[in-house]
Amino acid sequence: MTQDPRVEQFISSFQALRREVEKVIVGHRDIIDHVLIGMFAGGHVLLEGVPGLGKTLLIKTLAEGLELSFARVQFTPDLMPADIIGTNIIVEDADGRKHFQFQSGPIFAHILLADEINRATPKTQSALLEGMQEGAVTVGGVSRPLPPPFFVLATQNPIEMEGTYPLPEAQLDRFLFKLRVRYPAIEELNAIIDRTTQVRAVTVDRVMTGPNVLASRELVREVPIATHTRDFASAIVMATHPQWAQAPDVTRRFVRYGASPRGAQALVLGAKVKALAEGRYNVSVDDIRYLAAPALRHRVILNFEGEAEGIDVDTLIEQIVDTAATTTTQGKEQFVR
Amino acid sequence: MPHPDTLDRLVREIATQVRWRRAEHYGLRGLFWGAVAAVVPLLFRLALGPWALALAIALLTAGVVTGALFGLLKRVSPADAARLADREFGLDERLSTALEWAERDDRTQLVDALVVDAVARVEAVQLRQVVRRILPRETRLLPVPVVLAAILAWAPPLPLPTASLPDFSAGAQKEEARERGDGTMLEDRARPLAKDKQQRPVFEERDWAQKGATGAAATAGDLSAVFKDTSLANQRPDFNSFLKKGDERLKMLEQTDRLPDLQSDFTSSQYKMVFRKSKELKSGLRDTVSPQKLKELLEEMERLGRKSGGGWGQDVSEGMEALEGGSTDRAMEAMQKALDKMRAQDEAQRGGKGLRGGRESDRRSGREGGRGEGSPEDQDFGEGEGMMPGKGKSGAPKGEASQRLRANPYDVGVEGESRRGKKDGFDTNLTGRAGKMSSRLSYMGIIGQYKNAMEDAISREQIPRDFHGQIRDYFQALDER
Repeated sequence: MTQDPRVEQFISSFQALRREVEKVIVGHRDIIDHVLIGMFAGGHVLLEGVPGLGKTLLIKTLAEGLELSFARVQFTPDLMPADIIGTNIIVEDADGRKHFQFQSGPIFAHILLADEINRATPKTQSALLEGMQEGAVTVGGVSRPLPPPFFVLATQNPIEMEGTYPLPEAQLDRFLFKLRVRYPAIEELNAIIDRTTQVRAVTVDRVMTGPNVLASRELVREVPIATHTRDFASAIVMATHPQWAQAPDVTRRFVRYGASPRGAQALVLGAKVKALAEGRYNVSVDDIRYLAAPALRHRVILNFEGEAEGIDVDTLIEQIVDTAATTTTQGKEQFVR
Repeated sequence: MPHPDTLDRLVREIATQVRWRRAEHYGLRGLFWGAVAAVVPLLFRLALGPWALALAIALLTAGVVTGALFGLLKRVSPADAARLADREFGLDERLSTALEWAERDDRTQLVDALVVDAVARVEAVQLRQVVRRILPRETRLLPVPVVLAAILAWAPPLPLPTASLPDFSAGAQKEEARERGDGTMLEDRARPLAKDKQQRPVFEERDWAQKGATGAAATAGDLSAVFKDTSLANQRPDFNSFLKKGDERLKMLEQTDRLPDLQSDFTSSQYKMVFRKSKELKSGLRDTVSPQKLKELLEEMERLGRKSGGGWGQDVSEGMEALEGGSTDRAMEAMQKALDKMRAQDEAQRGGKGLRGGRESDRRSGREGGRGEGSPEDQDFGEGEGMMPGKGKSGAPKGEASQRLRANPYDVGVEGESRRGKKDGFDTNLTGRAGKMSSRLSYMGIIGQYKNAMEDAISREQIPRDFHGQIRDYFQALDER
């Protein structure tokens, strides 16, 4: 039950977009939701998974569902920053005079698919930094704004590490969420086989425009959050820091660096989108819980012991969330005594 | 926007539930302590008479009432009550958020919608008891004072203890002595016995520290006098120094709390520990390498490899086989290869963001593994940089050469002149007496290092396989010479 027409429009757009993507992608409901949440929160999303799970297809389908320009860059070791951002080229006018003209790169699109981002050198990866954070790129001393809404969706393969460059922490931190695309269940696999091996053309309808997306992003920021829910998000982020006085033992033992304030922003913004998508006008504790792993897993860096013990970051975050829940939302209810 | 009454009503209801639960909780605590207090007047029932029972009942009641009142009157925060309602009625923080944001100045349009939504949800709530009962710890012990009080109340009054304090007054002593009969015996007791001359009055023995008595004053058989003869007799016991020493010992005990953080060292540089051990192992002469220690090190490396999925397991296995076959040299070579791989992996994982694997990584790990840490010779200089005078990377002024070289005839100087051509160069000659002397190197010491470098090069560089045997034969020939 909703009263605000903007919220109703948001919910219908969200569901329509999800429906369009699900026409092509089988299963991965959580991944689709997380990608949409990331997009409406105004962040960028990194998808990690072994080849063949449909990461690139998901992003391409999403782009088809939006009336936005789309560019795909296949990252390779010899890719240069100018190949992404663009460069100044010399052109000759009708009078024979030469001058520089900016030839824009693929980054000047609304949706940029950075496929296998970890195959390019750190220099090239870093070319995306300014664009992702500031929404503008600087070439030859001139800052050029990127067309809003600008949204980077990157993929990477976690197993073929030979000849790859792991993303620097600064670059990783720019991604709102890191999503792990898992192998489909057998029912989903059967559906994939049926859907992809028959003669049946699937058409994806365009259900949302750029201004719609921007308006939704504005709306999301209006969603109120209670103080104790915000405290819960802060406690989770702080609990990822081994130096924090109230950090749980598991953090002290296995974590080298914790999440940055961007992690807390990602948690709260994502939770606001999720609340709206469910027709709720406020953020709940469960929203924060739901988004803790995708928002923090790439921001928590394990120490040597954590890596040696093969600690799974998702499990670690789960434990951290439980601890934070005890110290904040539930712990305070000891007032009953 | 004021709070809608529906929301406030639910919060008030929950707050009331909380108050009653608190009244139960603190009332039970009060009952326990009241029962404990009630036991006391019941113990003295003989003295207090009928007042004892009344006092016990009053104490019991006072405990319960005080506890319950405390629980009832203790403040319940509306925010806490709202949060509890949110959780128990599945409101997803609607109630607490609506209450918090309804009166804020910076509320948005969505807040109004939230309040309306929250009211609708709250109206649909079926009110029930949501605050669970929390029994205090004292409840488990409550039967003890209650049963004790009941027993004391029903049983006949306990007799009061009649013991009185001893009377130490002089009159009482005399009276007591008179009661025993003989007055002279008292005088005899006060006087020291003739046969027991060594026994001094107590007050004199206590005075030994003040009197610096010498042997002249000592009487034969007088133990205290003998003690006075010692030099210690003149010293007062130095309790301050004793305490000070005690403090020092305590500080020493505290040192155990500041043991080195082995765990941290271990976690931060486990590979480095293995490197250090291998270095210690190699520091001796080749012949003195202990196969046992080498085996332990290889086992540790194998364990590390299993733990972190390192790719040096093959090398370690080769080393173990070689060790079992009695070939320490081959085992050492295998260990060196495994160490190189460990170092490469450690660097790639912890610090390096460079290419994992590949030629660049191999070159780097090979360089570090082969020569150790960062000697200046390891630096790669670009063409026309580095060792050429005046073209170094450092921006610091070069200045004139030191005159120290001229002071010692054995110092080696370098003189030369630039050579122009396709590439700039320098022709250099050694000067000084040392420049004319022949240099000596420990052949057998060096050849081993060259052999290791050769094996590394064969495994890393792209050398045609057909040449491997030829290269090894060449070095074998050098070794035999």
